[in-house]
Amino acid sequence: MSTTQATRQIHLVGFLKPAGEYPSGWRHPEAPRAAGVDFAFAAQQVQRLEAALFDAVFVPDLVGLPDVRDDVLERVAVVNDTFEPLTLLAALAAVTDRIGLVGTASTSYSSVASLAADFASLQQLSRGRAGWNIVTSLNDTEARNFGRDHHLDHGDRYAHAAAVVEEVTARWAEQSSRPVLAQAGSSDAGRALAARVADLVFVRALPIAETREFVRDIRERAVASGRDGRDVIVLPELSAVIGRTRAEAEDAFAAVRDLLDARIALADLEYWTGTDLGGLPLDGPLPEPPLSGASRGAQREIYDQARRDGLSIGDLARLIAEGDGAVVGTAVDVADHIEKYVTEADVDGFTVSFPWLPATVTGFTEGVVPELQRRGLFRTHYEGSTIRDHLGLAQHQRA
Amino acid sequence: MTRQLHLNAIYSAAGGSLGGWRHPEAPARAGVDFPFIAEQARKLEASAFDAIFIADLLAVPDSHPDVIEKVATVNDSLEPLTVLSALAAVTERIGLIGTASSTYNQPYTLARAFASLDHLSRGRAGWNVVTSLIDAEARNFGADSHLAHADRYRRADEFLEVVYGLWDSFDDDAFEWDAATGRAFREDGIHRLDHAGEFFRVAGPLNIARAPQGRPVIAQAGASPAGRDVAGRHGELIFSGASRLEDATEYADDLRRRAEEAGRDRGDILLFPGLSVVVAPTRAEAEDRFSRIADLLHPRVALGDLEYWLGGVDLTGYDYDGPLPQFAQSNQSHSTQERIYETARRENLTIRQFVERRLRAEHTVVGTPEEVADHIQEWFEAGAADGFNVSFPALPGTLDAFVDLVVPELRRRGLFREHYTGTTLREHLGLPRPASRRAAVGAAAR
Repeated sequence: MSTTQATRQIHLVGFLKPAGEYPSGWRHPEAPRAAGVDFAFAAQQVQRLEAALFDAVFVPDLVGLPDVRDDVLERVAVVNDTFEPLTLLAALAAVTDRIGLVGTASTSYSSVASLAADFASLQQLSRGRAGWNIVTSLNDTEARNFGRDHHLDHGDRYAHAAAVVEEVTARWAEQSSRPVLAQAGSSDAGRALAARVADLVFVRALPIAETREFVRDIRERAVASGRDGRDVIVLPELSAVIGRTRAEAEDAFAAVRDLLDARIALADLEYWTGTDLGGLPLDGPLPEPPLSGASRGAQREIYDQARRDGLSIGDLARLIAEGDGAVVGTAVDVADHIEKYVTEADVDGFTVSFPWLPATVTGFTEGVVPELQRRGLFRTHYEGSTIRDHLGLAQHQRA
Repeated sequence: MTRQLHLNAIYSAAGGSLGGWRHPEAPARAGVDFPFIAEQARKLEASAFDAIFIADLLAVPDSHPDVIEKVATVNDSLEPLTVLSALAAVTERIGLIGTASSTYNQPYTLARAFASLDHLSRGRAGWNVVTSLIDAEARNFGADSHLAHADRYRRADEFLEVVYGLWDSFDDDAFEWDAATGRAFREDGIHRLDHAGEFFRVAGPLNIARAPQGRPVIAQAGASPAGRDVAGRHGELIFSGASRLEDATEYADDLRRRAEEAGRDRGDILLFPGLSVVVAPTRAEAEDRFSRIADLLHPRVALGDLEYWLGGVDLTGYDYDGPLPQFAQSNQSHSTQERIYETARRENLTIRQFVERRLRAEHTVVGTPEEVADHIQEWFEAGAADGFNVSFPALPGTLDAFVDLVVPELRRRGLFREHYTGTTLREHLGLPRPASRRAAVGAAAR
């Protein structure tokens, strides 16, 4: 094994949504208007993450508007007005030197030749800092932008994704310097694909026992695919709000939470469960998920959580409104949380999301990162220049 | 103010000549050397060029291996949209035009990527719409052969209509970002497209605000009748390969006529013939520079280039001192094939003479700054050109010489701007910002 493991240093990937991850984050008084198409603002955030030695920045994507009612859509900033990931990352490559640049692209709606050429070009432009987050896409609204009425069936699209990934990677001649591959499917098919091909695995924030089980499962599947379990870097999402005191952090978060329209919370729950909750009582139980074409892993997790904890539809919507597992506290609190997950759940680091910008970015880079460095959990300088260097993947390949 | 011309740099990192990469000044792997590309773009911007244009091919051409191995340009170059996005971050004013194929992309994908580039660059994006050329490209996209000539132009036409519709998904003033009410945009400011046509079904809306330019600038280079029709209907910048003034004038008149027939104004299209330049303070120096560049082009590559443009034919078995044989029309660029045969017939050229002519790159204007400016001025005043697609046979030398010697001479003559007066590509070109076809206000204004 590489030395990375011996020192247990973690990896941090910044989840870039310039308008903020939290649905009402864009309404924060400090948030810029039209952040989604403000390149100077995006560049400034990524330069902050680079100064804080993040392994990479990750730009998510949807190839269409989300499938929600108009009165919800018009209140959600994140997805309606954003740069296309590859063009944004290419521009970011020109104003950064070290930080990895990972972008989402769909195996369902992009051609093999385009995916291969686009990411190879980003890899050259950035001198080895490119990453592809493999998604199969989610919604019928996306399908309808590409000549289909409905999204591909779940099983079909994962089989298709596996074939696309194989063909794309085959076109990259230099396997030892190819863009890194990331995957975030948590269904059985998603995990199987991740364990077989992904260098990075993203997973949503879960309680520690579930996280430990997820990490163990991914590493086991990787071994079954003939890889080293440590070759898969598992990074759960971490949404953090940091204050000088716990009360300050809680107040700051409460102020943003108060701006969340109830319609969005309920719609978010509908979106992730793939279920129309329109006619159902808020104090009633969440119906069995339809296991529709949308994200099956997420549907199952939410349903299981509701059943286990006896949560009603209203409770679940409130939970989402409260930030879906956001860690709210001092830099020390957040570092404690991170250290606990590293020690007890065997995670390799985190994908850090920022509920609103720029305050939660600076809270993390100026508060949490120095605390992690003090504990010996995070690098104090970049040792290499490529994303593979940062992630320790180059060493794995030599081993 | 007198009419002024426009300059667009056709950028090929290894140089416009197929042998340019062998020049002693050329950096190794220029095609993927972003700092080098950025440096050239900034020089062009310092000279107030309207735009830099990056062409594309979606394959390594299927020429003979002994040709391909000697050609750098097409085999190791960055993908246009990514490199233009990176250039957007390190330039301020220069327009950024890239080739993308309407045959091998989906309208939603390209509408989004060019809108994104327009936002990244604050209004400097342009799209050179091509229908693609060769079977090698088709085979990279799941087809054995290239879409038939007529079909690919019908597809291009529909593709563009879909893209225009997607670019008008949000009204210019749809986004309010009203933090107090929590409303990001007005519900009546968003429009679904629900397009269903021969080639595409696209629901929309596009998930990005209307582009700063309304629409990125559309460039087109169609030369066949079908291609000219598409160019006349959609093109704002028209690229052409004519090497003789009378051909360029005929082409310009024809395109303006087609634009009028399509209900557009003659002034809505700008003609940009290609212009390859080797310039030096004296004619002797220019010719010396030129012959040193021409010597770098391997004869096999020159023959291979001819084979390529004739549709991937094989000339190796023919008598080089015999006439250029006539092959069946290939599915590639019809106009280029016809131009080659027409020249061969008119001047009664053998294969060897043709190759020698390509080796000497007779389309290149070689001379002093005054001679190059004379050529430019003649074409400009004859109505054959509103601007030029300037290519540089070897980099960085021929680019440096152009901006240092030709641009000042053009300015002395009052033919080219001293500095930028606007910030968007449309402003540089004097093209209006298109109103939305969907917005209530835009519809009334139209």
